Amino acid sequence: MSYVEGLRKAFRTRGGVVQAVDDVAFEAADGQITGLLGPNGAGKTTTLRMLYTLMAPDTGRVLVDGLDPAVEPGRVRATLGVLPDARGIYKRLTARENVAYFGELHGLDRRTIAERIANLCRALDMHEFIDRRAEGFSQGQRTKTAIARALVHDPRNVVLDEPANGLDVMTTRALREFLLRLREDGRCVLFSSHIMQEVARLCDRIVVIAHGRVVAAGSPDELRESTGCPNLEDAFVKAIGTAEGLYE
Amino acid sequence: MKALWVVLRKELLDAFRDRRMVAVAFLVMPLAVPTIIGGTAALGARKQAAQLESTLALPVIGGKLAPNLVDWLGQQNVEVTAAPADPDAAVRAQQHDVILRIDPEYAEDWRNGRPAGVEVIFDSSRPMSTGATIARVRGLLDGYSDTVGTLRLIARGIHPAVARPLQVGSRDVATPEARFDLSQQLLPYLLLLLAFIGGMQVAIDATAGERERQSLEPLLATPVSREAIISAKILATAIFALLTITATLLAYRISFALLPSDLPESSFAFGPRALLQLFVVILPVVLLGATVLTALAAFARSYREAQGYLPLLIFLPMVPTLVLMVAPVRTQTWMLAVPFLGQNQLILRILRDERIAPGEWGVNLGAGFALVAVAWLVAARLYYREQLAASS
Repeated sequence: MSYVEGLRKAFRTRGGVVQAVDDVAFEAADGQITGLLGPNGAGKTTTLRMLYTLMAPDTGRVLVDGLDPAVEPGRVRATLGVLPDARGIYKRLTARENVAYFGELHGLDRRTIAERIANLCRALDMHEFIDRRAEGFSQGQRTKTAIARALVHDPRNVVLDEPANGLDVMTTRALREFLLRLREDGRCVLFSSHIMQEVARLCDRIVVIAHGRVVAAGSPDELRESTGCPNLEDAFVKAIGTAEGLYE
Repeated sequence: MKALWVVLRKELLDAFRDRRMVAVAFLVMPLAVPTIIGGTAALGARKQAAQLESTLALPVIGGKLAPNLVDWLGQQNVEVTAAPADPDAAVRAQQHDVILRIDPEYAEDWRNGRPAGVEVIFDSSRPMSTGATIARVRGLLDGYSDTVGTLRLIARGIHPAVARPLQVGSRDVATPEARFDLSQQLLPYLLLLLAFIGGMQVAIDATAGERERQSLEPLLATPVSREAIISAKILATAIFALLTITATLLAYRISFALLPSDLPESSFAFGPRALLQLFVVILPVVLLGATVLTALAAFARSYREAQGYLPLLIFLPMVPTLVLMVAPVRTQTWMLAVPFLGQNQLILRILRDERIAPGEWGVNLGAGFALVAVAWLVAARLYYREQLAASS
């Protein structure tokens, strides 16, 4: 379970101070898929980065399974499986070596790593390229490798930043099924997206973010109700104030 | 500790799978260093021999005024040639190394027993190329002056020893290993340079490259501490540099054992003990270089920017060599604590087969490793910056 409250983060740039995240609060429960929806630049990536300890919030609080990243960053990272916005993999290593490396970094033994890789390979359909060096992988193959790498230690909390970015239709379908299976396993799945259809289709709870603020949150039914729009996509547009950047 | 080993193993695997990186480190470097040192030494030796043994073409102005001197020079393997119209300009333009001018009053002074004037025209701004020729001409003139003076004293019934109150002898106490040659000056610099930046490609690839390829963020999202990650990357860099140096020294040793040469044997013939000592001396430099490179790679915003700092780093190990060239000093213990200067002195002494006291080792290694620790703290701080992973 992940919980954030009063999160703020500002960046100093040449053009002045940019308030990337401005008082964001939400909760992502176990056994549910929670979606962070917002156009590009809304503050989704920065919010997730604070959750997985890469950045420290200016103010506010993060709790992951009751652990505070500011106090125990190592333990928080151990409970998280993270697919960051940056999903580079090592080109001179095979897909298997890439995934195994992260298994070792999480302190798993060889046998466990081999088992997990076999499972992930089946779930993500990676047989074709698992033992090939990553140089020249397609976007989909790279993303699958990055997802396998993020989940090799069987984390209870899964955080994915724009997981569908750059994936073809078949891979997106496979990913969707995979996320649903994680939910069935009782895990806490939190992902961000700027694509309304993706979020509308998958999520049990939706947090709509624009300009660094939460503009609406709740289950799909709650969102429809609060905005008075029977169509979920209309509800999103109404909450954000514009449809710009919400379609693929 | 286990995580450190995991990261280290992966970085080395990654580095050794980069064919270009491996080719530069284990083929280009080991070939370049013996070629540079051997080539320079061979060139220097050949030039020196040529200057001392070949017939010297010496333009003489007013040679007719001093026929005996010209004859005598001819017997000393000197070919007297016609002088150019403007001797100063000719020497300055490097057309001639040395021109001899006989004073117009020479004949008259000679006849009257007064010191007769000769003038050696040369350019002191190029001592490397003309020094030997100038000394040769001066030596010949001194020799002629001596011979004639001695004959004059004998003609007057005076023993020549009267005019020579001192008998100056000389004895060179240098061991064969310590004889100066150019290669001895080059080897410490090249060795320190390789030690300092030999792992540059690994360091830049492992941090700036990892960031640019966007794999640093997932790495930092694992439970492994940043201290362990950075230490592993530094160690991988250091190991790569040490392997490059080993390959280079081996190539150096082998190439000079194979080449039949008349080069001074000394500087190439270091044994296993000297080799071991060399490795101990450069170890702190290797670690310092790996740490500084990793810190720079973490500080730079891109791979290219990180590479931009390299000329600065290449210059650093050169500083003590330059200082010693301009102002040669006696080794004092405190100097051994100065980075690069201390190592330079110790490498020279190892090559000269001189004893190094335990205290001197202590000062040098203590100061070296202390500096490594400081650099490590800086690098670790840089690794904690939020900008490091969150580049985009």
